[in-house]
Amino acid sequence: MIADEASLAHLMAAAQKGDAASYRVLLAEVQLWLERYFRRRVAPAQLDDLVQEVMVVVHAKRATWDPTRAFLPWLAAIARYRWIDHLRKVYRKAEDELGDHDFAEDSEEEAVMARMSLERLFVHLPAKQCEVIELVKIDGLSIAEASARTGQSESLVKVNIHRGLKKLSALVEKAD
Amino acid sequence: MNRLPNALIDELVDDLEPVRPMKLAHGIGLIALAALVTIGLVELLDGLWRGILAGEASAYYFIANGMLGLLGAAAALAVLRMASPRVGNTQEGARWALAMFALLPAVAAITLGLQGRLQQIGADPYGLSCFLAGSVFSLLTFGALTAWLRRGAPVSPSRAGIYTGIAAGAIGSFSYGLACPIDTLGHLATWHTLPVVLGAFAGRAVVPGLVRW
Repeated sequence: MIADEASLAHLMAAAQKGDAASYRVLLAEVQLWLERYFRRRVAPAQLDDLVQEVMVVVHAKRATWDPTRAFLPWLAAIARYRWIDHLRKVYRKAEDELGDHDFAEDSEEEAVMARMSLERLFVHLPAKQCEVIELVKIDGLSIAEASARTGQSESLVKVNIHRGLKKLSALVEKAD
Repeated sequence: MNRLPNALIDELVDDLEPVRPMKLAHGIGLIALAALVTIGLVELLDGLWRGILAGEASAYYFIANGMLGLLGAAAALAVLRMASPRVGNTQEGARWALAMFALLPAVAAITLGLQGRLQQIGADPYGLSCFLAGSVFSLLTFGALTAWLRRGAPVSPSRAGIYTGIAAGAIGSFSYGLACPIDTLGHLATWHTLPVVLGAFAGRAVVPGLVRW
Protein backbone atom coordinates (compact mmCIF):
# COMPACT_ATOMS: atom_id res chain seq x y z
CA MET A 1 0.00 0.00 0.00
CA ILE A 2 1.49 3.31 -1.03
CA ALA A 3 1.18 6.19 1.41
CA ASP A 4 -1.45 8.82 0.74
CA GLU A 5 -0.93 12.39 -0.46
CA ALA A 6 -0.98 13.92 3.01
CA SER A 7 1.62 11.48 4.37
CA LEU A 8 3.90 11.95 1.37
CA ALA A 9 3.64 15.75 1.62
CA HIS A 10 4.44 15.55 5.32
CA LEU A 11 7.48 13.35 4.66
CA MET A 12 8.71 15.62 1.86
CA ALA A 13 8.37 18.73 3.99
CA ALA A 14 10.46 17.03 6.68
CA ALA A 15 13.00 15.89 4.07
CA GLN A 16 13.39 19.45 2.81
CA LYS A 17 14.41 20.36 6.36
CA GLY A 18 17.04 17.61 6.35
CA ASP A 19 15.19 14.82 8.20
CA ALA A 20 17.00 11.70 6.91
CA ALA A 21 14.60 9.17 8.46
CA SER A 22 11.58 10.79 6.80
CA TYR A 23 13.48 11.02 3.55
CA ARG A 24 14.30 7.32 3.58
CA VAL A 25 10.63 6.44 4.03
CA LEU A 26 9.62 8.95 1.37
CA LEU A 27 12.05 7.58 -1.21
CA ALA A 28 10.85 4.03 -0.63
CA GLU A 29 7.26 5.21 -1.16
CA VAL A 30 8.24 7.24 -4.21
CA GLN A 31 9.96 4.20 -5.68
CA LEU A 32 6.82 2.11 -5.29
CA TRP A 33 4.64 4.88 -6.69
CA LEU A 34 6.87 5.34 -9.72
CA GLU A 35 7.03 1.61 -10.43
CA ARG A 36 3.26 1.51 -10.50
CA TYR A 37 3.02 4.74 -12.47
CA PHE A 38 5.33 3.64 -15.27
CA ARG A 39 4.48 -0.06 -15.32
CA ARG A 40 2.19 -0.05 -18.32
CA ARG A 41 4.05 2.53 -20.39
CA VAL A 42 7.65 1.39 -20.10
CA ALA A 43 9.22 -1.84 -21.27
CA PRO A 44 9.83 -4.05 -18.19
CA ALA A 45 13.59 -4.20 -18.65
CA GLN A 46 13.78 -0.41 -18.64
CA LEU A 47 11.48 0.19 -15.71
CA ASP A 48 14.12 0.09 -12.99
CA ASP A 49 16.44 2.44 -14.84
CA LEU A 50 13.68 4.98 -15.41
CA VAL A 51 12.47 4.78 -11.80
CA GLN A 52 15.99 5.30 -10.51
CA GLU A 53 16.57 8.16 -12.90
CA VAL A 54 13.44 9.92 -11.68
CA MET A 55 14.42 9.32 -8.05
CA VAL A 56 17.76 11.01 -8.66
CA VAL A 57 15.93 13.93 -10.24
CA VAL A 58 13.50 14.09 -7.31
CA HIS A 59 16.54 14.34 -5.04
CA ALA A 60 18.24 17.02 -7.14
CA LYS A 61 15.09 19.08 -7.60
CA ARG A 62 13.51 18.60 -4.17
CA ALA A 63 13.64 22.33 -3.50
CA THR A 64 11.22 22.95 -6.38
CA TRP A 65 8.35 21.39 -4.44
CA ASP A 66 6.41 24.08 -2.63
CA PRO A 67 5.24 22.67 0.73
CA THR A 68 2.01 24.65 0.45
CA ARG A 69 1.04 22.56 -2.59
CA ALA A 70 0.20 18.89 -3.15
CA PHE A 71 3.11 16.48 -3.55
CA LEU A 72 1.83 13.92 -6.06
CA PRO A 73 1.04 16.37 -8.91
CA TRP A 74 4.63 17.62 -8.56
CA LEU A 75 6.01 14.08 -8.64
CA ALA A 76 3.77 13.16 -11.59
CA ALA A 77 4.93 16.18 -13.61
CA ILE A 78 8.57 15.21 -13.09
CA ALA A 79 7.78 11.57 -13.90
CA ARG A 80 5.97 12.52 -17.12
CA TYR A 81 8.79 14.83 -18.20
CA ARG A 82 11.42 12.14 -17.68
CA TRP A 83 9.25 9.48 -19.28
CA ILE A 84 8.94 11.53 -22.50
CA ASP A 85 12.68 12.12 -22.38
CA HIS A 86 13.11 8.38 -22.00
CA LEU A 87 10.85 7.69 -25.00
CA ARG A 88 12.96 10.00 -27.11
CA LYS A 89 16.06 8.02 -26.24
CA VAL A 90 14.64 4.55 -26.66
CA TYR A 91 15.59 2.64 -29.77
CA ARG A 92 14.84 -0.84 -30.77
CA LYS A 93 15.24 -3.37 -27.99
CA ALA A 94 13.66 -6.78 -27.72
CA GLU A 95 11.24 -6.59 -24.84
CA ASP A 96 8.61 -8.82 -23.39
CA GLU A 97 5.01 -8.11 -24.16
CA LEU A 98 3.63 -5.56 -21.76
CA GLY A 99 0.90 -6.60 -19.42
CA ASP A 100 -2.18 -4.65 -18.54
CA HIS A 101 -1.74 -3.03 -15.15
CA ASP A 102 -4.32 -0.31 -15.03
CA PHE A 103 -4.88 1.48 -11.76
CA ALA A 104 -8.00 0.32 -10.01
CA GLU A 105 -10.24 3.38 -9.81
CA ASP A 106 -12.01 2.49 -6.61
CA SER A 107 -11.45 5.60 -4.54
CA GLU A 108 -11.25 9.36 -4.85
CA GLU A 109 -7.48 9.20 -4.64
CA GLU A 110 -7.36 6.68 -7.47
CA ALA A 111 -9.53 8.99 -9.55
CA VAL A 112 -7.05 11.81 -8.95
CA MET A 113 -4.25 9.41 -9.88
CA ALA A 114 -6.00 8.56 -13.12
CA ARG A 115 -6.06 12.25 -14.07
CA MET A 116 -2.29 12.40 -13.57
CA SER A 117 -1.57 9.12 -15.33
CA LEU A 118 0.39 8.63 -18.49
CA GLU A 119 -2.74 7.28 -20.16
CA ARG A 120 -4.26 10.76 -19.98
CA LEU A 121 -1.49 12.05 -22.21
CA PHE A 122 -2.16 9.52 -24.94
CA VAL A 123 -5.79 10.57 -25.07
CA HIS A 124 -4.68 13.84 -26.65
CA LEU A 125 -2.71 12.18 -29.44
CA PRO A 126 -4.13 11.11 -32.81
CA ALA A 127 -4.51 7.33 -32.95
CA LYS A 128 -1.81 6.93 -35.62
CA GLN A 129 0.80 8.78 -33.55
CA CYS A 130 -0.17 6.91 -30.41
CA GLU A 131 0.04 3.56 -32.18
CA VAL A 132 3.56 4.01 -33.59
CA ILE A 133 4.94 5.46 -30.36
CA GLU A 134 3.66 2.43 -28.50
CA LEU A 135 5.06 0.01 -31.09
CA VAL A 136 8.48 1.58 -31.56
CA LYS A 137 9.24 3.36 -28.30
CA ILE A 138 7.58 1.04 -25.84
CA ASP A 139 7.25 -2.39 -27.46
CA GLY A 140 10.63 -2.02 -29.14
CA LEU A 141 9.72 -2.73 -32.77
CA SER A 142 11.86 -1.31 -35.56
CA ILE A 143 10.55 1.40 -37.86
CA ALA A 144 10.16 -1.19 -40.64
CA GLU A 145 8.25 -3.59 -38.37
CA ALA A 146 5.97 -0.81 -37.16
CA SER A 147 5.41 0.22 -40.76
CA ALA A 148 4.43 -3.32 -41.73
CA ARG A 149 2.20 -3.68 -38.68
CA THR A 150 0.32 -0.41 -39.11
CA GLY A 151 0.31 0.03 -42.88
CA GLN A 152 1.94 3.45 -42.50
CA SER A 153 5.00 4.11 -44.65
CA GLU A 154 8.36 4.17 -42.83
CA SER A 155 8.63 7.92 -43.36
CA LEU A 156 5.18 8.40 -41.93
CA VAL A 157 6.04 6.27 -38.91
CA LYS A 158 9.05 8.51 -38.22
CA VAL A 159 7.04 11.67 -38.71
CA ASN A 160 4.24 10.44 -36.47
CA ILE A 161 6.69 9.48 -33.73
CA HIS A 162 8.37 12.86 -33.94
CA ARG A 163 5.10 14.80 -33.90
CA GLY A 164 3.63 12.62 -31.19
CA LEU A 165 6.58 13.06 -28.84
CA LYS A 166 6.58 16.78 -29.49
CA LYS A 167 2.93 16.97 -28.60
CA LEU A 168 3.41 14.82 -25.50
CA SER A 169 6.12 17.14 -24.24
CA ALA A 170 3.70 20.06 -24.46
CA LEU A 171 1.16 18.18 -22.34
CA VAL A 172 3.28 17.31 -19.31
CA GLU A 173 1.33 19.49 -16.89
CA LYS A 174 -2.06 18.85 -18.45
CA ALA A 175 -4.50 17.32 -15.99
CA ASP A 176 -7.48 16.36 -18.14
CA MET B 1 5.43 -0.30 2.96
CA ASN B 2 8.48 -1.26 0.91
CA ARG B 3 11.55 -1.64 3.08
CA LEU B 4 13.77 -3.56 0.66
CA PRO B 5 17.47 -2.73 0.82
CA ASN B 6 18.19 -0.16 -1.85
CA ALA B 7 21.67 1.22 -2.51
CA LEU B 8 20.30 4.20 -4.40
CA ILE B 9 18.06 5.22 -1.51
CA ASP B 10 21.01 4.89 0.89
CA GLU B 11 23.09 7.08 -1.38
CA LEU B 12 20.43 9.76 -1.73
CA VAL B 13 19.72 9.79 2.00
CA ASP B 14 23.44 10.17 2.73
CA ASP B 15 23.52 13.13 0.38
CA LEU B 16 20.52 14.81 2.00
CA GLU B 17 20.95 18.37 3.14
CA PRO B 18 18.29 20.89 4.10
CA VAL B 19 17.02 22.92 1.17
CA ARG B 20 15.07 26.16 0.98
CA PRO B 21 11.86 25.41 -0.90
CA MET B 22 11.16 27.58 -3.94
CA LYS B 23 8.09 29.52 -2.93
CA LEU B 24 6.04 31.56 -5.34
CA ALA B 25 6.11 34.55 -3.00
CA HIS B 26 9.93 34.64 -3.14
CA GLY B 27 9.82 34.58 -6.92
CA ILE B 28 7.27 37.39 -7.01
CA GLY B 29 9.51 39.40 -4.68
CA LEU B 30 12.50 38.82 -6.96
CA ILE B 31 10.67 39.97 -10.09
CA ALA B 32 9.12 42.95 -8.30
CA LEU B 33 12.62 43.94 -7.20
CA ALA B 34 13.94 43.56 -10.75
CA ALA B 35 11.10 45.75 -12.06
CA LEU B 36 11.69 48.40 -9.41
CA VAL B 37 15.43 48.49 -10.10
CA THR B 38 14.67 48.78 -13.82
CA ILE B 39 12.37 51.74 -13.18
CA GLY B 40 15.09 53.25 -10.98
CA LEU B 41 17.58 52.88 -13.84
CA VAL B 42 15.13 54.53 -16.23
CA GLU B 43 14.85 57.47 -13.83
CA LEU B 44 18.64 57.68 -13.51
CA LEU B 45 19.42 57.41 -17.22
CA ASP B 46 16.45 59.11 -18.87
CA GLY B 47 14.31 60.63 -16.14
CA LEU B 48 10.68 59.66 -15.67
CA TRP B 49 8.14 61.81 -17.50
CA ARG B 50 6.80 64.34 -14.99
CA GLY B 51 3.85 65.06 -17.28
CA ILE B 52 2.17 61.84 -16.12
CA LEU B 53 1.30 63.28 -12.73
CA ALA B 54 0.63 66.72 -14.21
CA GLY B 55 -2.26 65.22 -16.20
CA GLU B 56 -0.60 65.71 -19.59
CA ALA B 57 -0.69 62.06 -20.64
CA SER B 58 -3.46 60.83 -22.95
CA ALA B 59 -5.80 57.95 -22.22
CA TYR B 60 -3.85 55.89 -24.79
CA TYR B 61 -0.76 56.32 -22.63
CA PHE B 62 -2.41 54.86 -19.54
CA ILE B 63 -4.16 52.10 -21.46
CA ALA B 64 -1.03 50.98 -23.35
CA ASN B 65 1.29 51.10 -20.36
CA GLY B 66 -1.35 49.56 -18.13
CA MET B 67 -1.67 46.66 -20.58
CA LEU B 68 2.11 46.27 -20.73
CA GLY B 69 2.32 46.20 -16.94
CA LEU B 70 -0.45 43.65 -16.60
CA LEU B 71 0.97 41.47 -19.37
CA GLY B 72 4.38 41.60 -17.71
CA ALA B 73 2.92 40.60 -14.35
CA ALA B 74 0.80 37.78 -15.78
CA ALA B 75 3.61 36.34 -17.91
CA ALA B 76 6.13 36.61 -15.07
CA LEU B 77 3.73 34.80 -12.75
CA ALA B 78 3.34 32.04 -15.34
CA VAL B 79 7.13 31.65 -15.55
CA LEU B 80 7.49 31.53 -11.77
CA ARG B 81 4.83 28.81 -11.61
CA MET B 82 6.48 26.85 -14.41
CA ALA B 83 9.66 26.59 -12.34
CA SER B 84 7.79 24.41 -9.85
CA PRO B 85 6.05 21.84 -12.04
CA ARG B 86 2.83 20.05 -11.25
CA VAL B 87 0.14 18.29 -13.21
CA GLY B 88 -2.70 20.79 -13.42
CA ASN B 89 -0.45 23.82 -13.84
CA THR B 90 -1.80 26.11 -16.56
CA GLN B 91 -0.82 29.49 -17.98
CA GLU B 92 -4.35 30.62 -18.77
CA GLY B 93 -3.89 34.01 -17.11
CA ALA B 94 -0.86 34.85 -19.22
CA ARG B 95 -2.60 33.63 -22.36
CA TRP B 96 -5.60 35.88 -21.82
CA ALA B 97 -3.36 38.80 -20.92
CA LEU B 98 -1.48 38.26 -24.17
CA ALA B 99 -4.73 38.12 -26.14
CA MET B 100 -5.86 41.33 -24.45
CA PHE B 101 -2.56 43.01 -25.21
CA ALA B 102 -2.75 41.98 -28.88
CA LEU B 103 -5.78 44.26 -29.17
CA LEU B 104 -3.49 47.26 -28.94
CA PRO B 105 -1.54 46.78 -32.20
CA ALA B 106 -4.62 45.31 -33.87
CA VAL B 107 -6.74 48.37 -33.08
CA ALA B 108 -3.91 50.69 -34.11
CA ALA B 109 -3.49 48.90 -37.43
CA ILE B 110 -7.23 49.00 -38.13
CA THR B 111 -7.88 52.61 -37.15
CA LEU B 112 -4.72 54.08 -38.65
CA GLY B 113 -5.18 51.93 -41.74
CA LEU B 114 -8.74 53.10 -42.25
CA GLN B 115 -7.60 56.68 -41.80
CA GLY B 116 -4.72 56.18 -44.25
CA ARG B 117 -2.16 57.18 -41.62
CA LEU B 118 -0.16 53.94 -41.29
CA GLN B 119 2.94 55.57 -42.79
CA GLN B 120 3.16 57.76 -39.69
CA ILE B 121 4.47 54.77 -37.75
CA GLY B 122 7.50 54.32 -39.99
CA ALA B 123 8.13 58.04 -40.05
CA ASP B 124 8.20 58.27 -36.23
CA PRO B 125 11.67 59.74 -35.46
CA TYR B 126 11.65 58.42 -31.88
CA GLY B 127 10.26 54.97 -32.60
CA LEU B 128 13.48 53.02 -33.00
CA SER B 129 15.08 54.50 -29.90
CA CYS B 130 11.99 53.61 -27.83
CA PHE B 131 12.09 50.05 -29.16
CA LEU B 132 15.78 49.69 -28.36
CA ALA B 133 15.47 51.28 -24.92
CA GLY B 134 12.49 49.09 -24.00
CA SER B 135 14.43 46.02 -25.11
CA VAL B 136 17.57 46.96 -23.17
CA PHE B 137 15.56 47.70 -20.02
CA SER B 138 14.04 44.22 -20.23
CA LEU B 139 17.39 42.52 -19.64
CA LEU B 140 17.30 42.61 -15.84
CA THR B 141 13.90 40.93 -15.65
CA PHE B 142 14.97 38.46 -18.33
CA GLY B 143 18.00 37.51 -16.25
CA ALA B 144 16.02 37.23 -13.01
CA LEU B 145 13.38 34.98 -14.56
CA THR B 146 15.99 32.81 -16.25
CA ALA B 147 17.88 32.44 -12.98
CA TRP B 148 14.66 31.40 -11.25
CA LEU B 149 13.93 28.83 -13.95
CA ARG B 150 17.46 27.45 -13.69
CA ARG B 151 16.90 26.80 -9.99
CA GLY B 152 13.58 25.19 -10.80
CA ALA B 153 12.43 22.26 -12.89
CA PRO B 154 10.42 23.60 -15.85
CA VAL B 155 8.85 20.77 -17.82
CA SER B 156 8.08 22.96 -20.85
CA PRO B 157 11.38 24.75 -21.47
CA SER B 158 10.29 26.21 -24.81
CA ARG B 159 7.09 27.66 -23.46
CA ALA B 160 8.90 28.89 -20.36
CA GLY B 161 11.36 30.65 -22.68
CA ILE B 162 8.62 32.38 -24.65
CA TYR B 163 6.86 33.59 -21.51
CA THR B 164 10.16 34.72 -20.03
CA GLY B 165 10.77 36.89 -23.09
CA ILE B 166 7.22 38.23 -23.10
CA ALA B 167 7.36 39.09 -19.39
CA ALA B 168 10.77 40.72 -19.67
CA GLY B 169 9.85 42.65 -22.82
CA ALA B 170 6.59 43.88 -21.30
CA ILE B 171 8.19 44.95 -18.02
CA GLY B 172 11.12 46.58 -19.83
CA SER B 173 8.84 48.45 -22.21
CA PHE B 174 6.51 49.44 -19.35
CA SER B 175 9.47 50.80 -17.37
CA TYR B 176 10.82 52.79 -20.28
CA GLY B 177 7.29 53.92 -21.08
CA LEU B 178 7.33 55.87 -17.83
CA ALA B 179 10.01 58.10 -19.39
CA CYS B 180 8.53 58.42 -22.88
CA PRO B 181 6.23 61.41 -23.39
CA ILE B 182 4.99 60.32 -26.82
CA ASP B 183 1.49 59.11 -26.14
CA THR B 184 -0.06 58.57 -29.57
CA LEU B 185 -1.74 55.27 -30.38
CA GLY B 186 0.52 54.51 -33.34
CA HIS B 187 3.72 55.06 -31.35
CA LEU B 188 2.64 53.08 -28.30
CA ALA B 189 1.06 50.22 -30.23
CA THR B 190 4.14 49.74 -32.40
CA TRP B 191 7.39 50.82 -30.84
CA HIS B 192 6.44 50.00 -27.25
CA THR B 193 5.01 46.65 -28.33
CA LEU B 194 7.97 45.43 -30.36
CA PRO B 195 10.15 44.73 -27.27
CA VAL B 196 7.54 42.13 -26.27
CA VAL B 197 7.72 40.48 -29.70
CA LEU B 198 11.51 40.56 -29.69
CA GLY B 199 11.52 39.18 -26.15
CA ALA B 200 9.31 36.26 -27.12
CA PHE B 201 11.65 35.25 -29.97
CA ALA B 202 14.78 35.79 -27.88
CA GLY B 203 13.31 33.83 -24.98
CA ARG B 204 12.35 30.95 -27.23
CA ALA B 205 15.85 30.88 -28.73
CA VAL B 206 17.97 31.38 -25.62
CA VAL B 207 16.16 30.17 -22.51
CA PRO B 208 15.44 26.46 -23.23
CA GLY B 209 19.14 25.66 -23.53
CA LEU B 210 19.82 27.37 -20.22
CA VAL B 211 17.06 25.77 -18.19
CA ARG B 212 16.89 22.19 -19.50
CA TRP B 213 17.54 19.62 -16.76
